[in-house]
Amino acid sequence: MDVKPTAYSARVLDHFQNPRNVGVLEGEDVAVGRVGNPVCGDLMEIFIKVVDERIADIKFRTFGCGSAIATSSMITEMAKGKTLDEAMKITRQDVATELEGLPPRKMHCSNLAADALHAAIQNYRAARGETIPMESVAAEPEVSVFAGEEAFLGKGVFYAVDDPALLKDQRVLVLDAGPTSAILSQDLMKYTDRVIFLTSDTPETSGKTAELLKQAGVKVLFQSRLKEIKGHDEVEKVLIHDSAENDDYDLVVDAVVILRGACDA
Amino acid sequence: MDYQSAKPLDPRVLEAMLPYFSEEFGNPSSLHKEGDAASTVLEDARRTVAAWINAAPDEIIFTSGATEANNLALIGYAFRNRNRGNHLIISEIEHISLHNIAKYLERNGFRVSRVPVDRFGRVSLSKLQARITPETILISVGYASNEIGTVQPVQEIGALARARGIAFHSDGVAAEGLLNIDVQRDNVDLLSLSANDIYGPRGVGALYVRQGVRLNPLIIGGGQEKGLRSGSENIPGIVGMARAAAIMSREMAGEVPRFQAYRDKLIAGVLAAIPHSHLNGHPVERLANNAHFRFQGVEGESLLLSLKQKGISAMTGSACTARTLEPSHTLMSIGLLHEEAHGSLEFTCGRFTREEDIDRVLEVLPGVVERLRKVSPIYQGNEG
Repeated sequence: MDVKPTAYSARVLDHFQNPRNVGVLEGEDVAVGRVGNPVCGDLMEIFIKVVDERIADIKFRTFGCGSAIATSSMITEMAKGKTLDEAMKITRQDVATELEGLPPRKMHCSNLAADALHAAIQNYRAARGETIPMESVAAEPEVSVFAGEEAFLGKGVFYAVDDPALLKDQRVLVLDAGPTSAILSQDLMKYTDRVIFLTSDTPETSGKTAELLKQAGVKVLFQSRLKEIKGHDEVEKVLIHDSAENDDYDLVVDAVVILRGACDA
Repeated sequence: MDYQSAKPLDPRVLEAMLPYFSEEFGNPSSLHKEGDAASTVLEDARRTVAAWINAAPDEIIFTSGATEANNLALIGYAFRNRNRGNHLIISEIEHISLHNIAKYLERNGFRVSRVPVDRFGRVSLSKLQARITPETILISVGYASNEIGTVQPVQEIGALARARGIAFHSDGVAAEGLLNIDVQRDNVDLLSLSANDIYGPRGVGALYVRQGVRLNPLIIGGGQEKGLRSGSENIPGIVGMARAAAIMSREMAGEVPRFQAYRDKLIAGVLAAIPHSHLNGHPVERLANNAHFRFQGVEGESLLLSLKQKGISAMTGSACTARTLEPSHTLMSIGLLHEEAHGSLEFTCGRFTREEDIDRVLEVLPGVVERLRKVSPIYQGNEG
């Protein structure tokens, strides 16, 4: 606990408490930059509206600690009115300096605002054919059999769920296999409060399905795929690949539902 | 509203300790009058601490705190009993000190299995049993989680270990002053205790070592504490621990129902007032003073910072306050995703908490969460 909130400067606290330019922008001349670090727990979006190569308007939304919110707010003030070239030159250090400094450890993890701004500018330019977009997501080939799947069949891995009550109070991972798997996920919420729906879709491509699942309380993991099922002699953990972040992480679960052939049904 | 990271010293404990810093300076090992007096004080303290957990006085080894007690229990036991086997089992939800001790033992040729917990944080007896091998010499599961407050089925685990001839260590720190700790009833062979967690001083604790359980010492010297913990005894600290234990033995029964009423009011109030909020840990089998929440779409450090500005202290399992920049292993062990663990907030009440403190949290917290959610790109309520 040695990073104390009190280690923040008065200016950081001011921007944290009264963030400037919160929100989203939409329109033809708008671009967005998204950056995040899932381990650290920060996610940042910066929207820019460009008129005559200048940032005419700018907004942000941030999930993160005090300095993540303050740096986002600060950079919107610094970038507003600047040309794109000038804005590209704003560095992490500039943001920190403008905020009268950040605690050393926060320099690395929370000061992503400059990265998000630069991503927005590059995405704006890419949309006009000027550069390569920052968010080109490489499609991952679907793997049909997962490491550990056969070893745990009947010990936490299910190909069909005839009686959802058997999964009462379990942490259940359901792999996206079309509408049947989505309906099953909703059903399972009557028996446990922990159902996780794993899909390679993005929020945009998934559309209504993801919305309905979320409303039912299902946790949806987008742009993700299962890599491995682990455990002692029952399912205890899965290794998940996050394509958006190109990152693998462990998640503790008790059951994995793989509806084989449900897509064709 | 944070009694987990540290507890204040009870003024009555301080009063008991003060003479031992100045007038009563004797060393229990000396043969003169001051030495005899110190020796009597030390043995009186040992009796008091032993009575608190239903142990015999000579089963109490004073240490510099619970971390040292955990080290002495696991490392001391593993090395002393290596000829009987090289396998230990701990739970995924143990305090970080035990996880790091386990890694140390693995680097020194021992095998350590980690038994998972269910979504409420309870150790599964069947999964524990499945990990026992003929090589298993020690099982370590704490009385309760210091973070999410889940209470473990310690008595059943102790019985299981006893039946299989395996030593059972339990870290009792999170349960001190909140649960009735009874080493006989619970079949505990080794128990770690801290003085600070019963409103005693820091820098002192104890390890209960059941009669007949053999350990190697970690600190070697003049042979104090039955040769298991050499070095001149910290008499003021030990007197403070004993005074704190005596007070706790008398007052716990009155305090716990009060904490529980506060806790239940806080949990019900928060879950009712804040949408997309969840309680972490077990709904019933939880420490009387612990309320641990997560709020979708907001991060823990920014919650702490906002609450601090309104004069409220709390705790979070978010990586943003941790040395490692990793979210709490406890929250990972119950199956939370990183973003969920980052949105966690823990309140703990204690001896000096008043009902007004609960009311203040309920008054302030909904607005704080709402404000941060307005800034958040991942709060569900912001979508569409």
